[in-house]
Amino acid sequence: MKEIRFRLFLVIGAFALSLYLLYPTYQDYKNNVDVSETLVHLEDSLKESSPNLTPTEIRELITAKKDSILANTPEYRSAREKRIKLGLDLQGGMYLVMEVNTAKLLERLAKDPDEQFFEILKQAEAESQLSDENVVTILARLMQEKNIRLSRYFGSIREDDAQIIARLQEQESDAVTRAIEIIRNRVDQYGVSEPNIQKQGSRRIVIELPGVAREEEAKRLLQGRALLEFKLVKDADFAIPIMNRIDEVLAKSIGIDSAQVADTTQQLTEEEFAKQHPFFAIARLADPQGRIPDAYVKESDKPKLNAYLQREEVKKVMPDNVEFLFDAKPIVGDDGEKYYRMYMVNKTPELTGGVIVDAQANIDPTTSAPVVSMQMNAEGAREWARITGSNIGKRCAIVLDGVVYSAPVIQSKIPSGNSQISGIPNLDEAKLLEIVLKAGALPAPVEIIEQRTVGPSLGQDSIRQGFNSLWLGYTLVAIFMIFYYRRAGTLADIGLIVTVLLILGVLAGFQATLTLPGIAGIVLTMGMAVDANVIIYERIREELNTGKTARAAVDAGYRNSFSAIIDSNITTFFTGIILYQFGSGPIQGFALTLMIGILTSLFSALIVVRMMFDYMLNKGQKINIG
Amino acid sequence: MFGLISILVRGLQFGIDFKGGTEVALEFSNPIDIAEVRNAVENIGLGNVEVKTFGGSLGILLRTELQQLPPEVIPTVKDKIESLIQKAAPGVEIKLIDSTHTALTYDFPDAQSANLIYDKLFEAGFQTAKASVEPENTAVVVRLGIADWIKENLSEHFADNPFSVLKEDKVGPKIGQELKTDAIIAVMLSLVVILIYLGFRFKFVFALGAVIALFHDVLITLGLFAALYGILPGINLEITISVVAAFLTLVGYSINDTVIVFDRVREEIKIHKSLPIIDNINRAINKTLSRTLITVFTTLLTTLVLLIFGGEVLRGFAFALLIGMITGTYSSIFIASAFVLEAVNRSDKKIEF
Repeated sequence: MKEIRFRLFLVIGAFALSLYLLYPTYQDYKNNVDVSETLVHLEDSLKESSPNLTPTEIRELITAKKDSILANTPEYRSAREKRIKLGLDLQGGMYLVMEVNTAKLLERLAKDPDEQFFEILKQAEAESQLSDENVVTILARLMQEKNIRLSRYFGSIREDDAQIIARLQEQESDAVTRAIEIIRNRVDQYGVSEPNIQKQGSRRIVIELPGVAREEEAKRLLQGRALLEFKLVKDADFAIPIMNRIDEVLAKSIGIDSAQVADTTQQLTEEEFAKQHPFFAIARLADPQGRIPDAYVKESDKPKLNAYLQREEVKKVMPDNVEFLFDAKPIVGDDGEKYYRMYMVNKTPELTGGVIVDAQANIDPTTSAPVVSMQMNAEGAREWARITGSNIGKRCAIVLDGVVYSAPVIQSKIPSGNSQISGIPNLDEAKLLEIVLKAGALPAPVEIIEQRTVGPSLGQDSIRQGFNSLWLGYTLVAIFMIFYYRRAGTLADIGLIVTVLLILGVLAGFQATLTLPGIAGIVLTMGMAVDANVIIYERIREELNTGKTARAAVDAGYRNSFSAIIDSNITTFFTGIILYQFGSGPIQGFALTLMIGILTSLFSALIVVRMMFDYMLNKGQKINIG
Repeated sequence: MFGLISILVRGLQFGIDFKGGTEVALEFSNPIDIAEVRNAVENIGLGNVEVKTFGGSLGILLRTELQQLPPEVIPTVKDKIESLIQKAAPGVEIKLIDSTHTALTYDFPDAQSANLIYDKLFEAGFQTAKASVEPENTAVVVRLGIADWIKENLSEHFADNPFSVLKEDKVGPKIGQELKTDAIIAVMLSLVVILIYLGFRFKFVFALGAVIALFHDVLITLGLFAALYGILPGINLEITISVVAAFLTLVGYSINDTVIVFDRVREEIKIHKSLPIIDNINRAINKTLSRTLITVFTTLLTTLVLLIFGGEVLRGFAFALLIGMITGTYSSIFIASAFVLEAVNRSDKKIEF
């Protein structure tokens, strides 16, 4: 007993540790079943209370409810966080590979880009589609081939090309890192449980969203722009004359003669007014006296107005540096129609959302309306102080993705870099705005280059098939071993159980993800794990044949097969490492289980089974090796 | 030789992992005739769409090399969507507010009809989304994807036999090319690493023999994939990422086998220094033979279990392993050892450990 005491501790320790690590998985499974049971009633009552819900909607509601219960109950959550993670192929969901379009970033960074620049950039972009080289390097090479100095478009004239390239490359990789950060933020806020977001290569992002099946929604979340801008609103003195001119040219081009137009002092019927003032008929001024240049547009008229603004003759009278923007929220008029407020703003923003470092949704104590307070970084605060200082009394529109959220009047110089967005209808919306502002805008567009969606039913099937194979594989191998090696075979079978338990324990302990190929890896390990035992048993048989005693034969058997077992497993381990390095997603899962399988099966063959042998020998029991 | 010839003659069928394209697996509620699906898919303007069974009699796998709807089909798809909208909400005003080559955005007068249309289009097989999550949102985005178009057509054609989508993969051509390169690098690199490790642990001749045996195994298995593609029913013999994984596992397994024989050869040479190498190799092979047979038997058992019960997704993987196990086992005896023997005899040098 003494000789094996240390090993016994080791084995029992490993055994207990993997049981401990696997317990949350079992717990989570049980929680899942429990919650599903309670939700059956919910489904029935939902069907009863709101019969016009479609089956899809009911399913969505149930899943959302289940997820929120599992994620929000503390004891459920801790089990969930520690369980063996299932890969997307087992639980269903989306797998996306996105690429950050850094060419667009360069386009934005360039100063005075001309046609030649765009041509070269286009060429560089095309080349980058086929290689993993970064766009900056390709662009620099193409420019050097054409004998153009990079300083013509980037940096200052004093810098040489190498300096500029280095800086641009830094900015490029920065953009990718930031894009990942932003996407991670957005996904977290969206509420996907256990998302996985990783950088791959120089500008790729791999995203796994378990359980998400609505592709379009997910893609919107990931690719949405979330561009925050602060734009000055034009004064009435500036805007009204332009609006008048637009009205005039529209009236002319729609075909009303000037005699009638001159006759504006009389009361007009609505129809006549619409004919003579096509623009103001749609865009009704908020203040008839024209002190505020804002106008209200009926929701159904918005496309018509946009069509008007696209006309050539209108474009001619509208200055290049201004544009019309609408409010995010309509107000409902007395007639029950929705009206959107329209502002004329400067096209160039004074400041963009990049300077925002924090945002917080709150209720304004004085008006009890929801607001979002923002805090800017030092540089942004300085700029903001300058802008507010020189524009007191003017309005500044807070624009998110081209829609105005609020346009407060600047009361005084704001030195602290704090600002506030109001005009948000409810606190939920304010929260959403907070998320988007905090997450920030993507520094460059991202494109989806690979997308895999696995339906939940295929995932269920795969788990079932995987575990069936596992059981069946084990049973077959176990029966064979007992049949062939008798009692020693039984020992090997026990060793096999230890192996599988340890593999699962290690997977749970390292928070690794179990995939379908991973299960295949375990099944395969069953077949190969007995290999070490087989080598040893065959050797022991040989030694017994030479007339050694049982104890000597066991010792010699283990000693002589050691180098073969180690050498062969190390080479297999190497291929596992390579597989892990070059594989993606599920393949890495397979490689990982294969490697863990090698280590654990060595442990069980060389330590667990050996220990049982020694114990039996010490007790004087007969070794029966077939 | 056989492997090489069959690769050259028949070529390898790469899955969309490597080729790029779109793949959709569907599961019908009732058994379905594959020829019928093929007919239904033929006339939807996507050109060549492969149709195959997936899993049992309920599953269908559709595949095309396209990643986006061809421009000439888009008007048809648009008409289709609009007629579906009319059917879902008769008389509703259809306003197209945004149109790109991948998505159409419609705006509707009120949120209720937007929600209704959103659901109906989704049920019809289109991927829909609300333009925003606000309750009063009235805009619906409809994606123009190949998979959606196929699904919509099939759901109409098989109205009495609804299906669900098991999986949907879309791989860009760039990724495909990269994966191919990565796979080749991975196999080559593992051969090199093995060569170095075995050269270090044994002698260079042994390492060379082992790697040649590996080449042989991979080549034969690859050759069988090429030769049997489309002949063997029920098994999808395309080279996908998981098949590449199988090849690497195979490399690992086969080298395992070879190393165990070599280890015994090394031991015999140490013991019987005076015996000619051929005798030592023979003794080693004979002594390890029973172990080799037992191990290959147990591994084949589990591989067969995977092949039969592991489901469609793992079938190609299990098949590659099955073939590889068999070739891997005999190659360690008849190729690796034979090569070592031949090399040693030619060089006239004595191997000593």
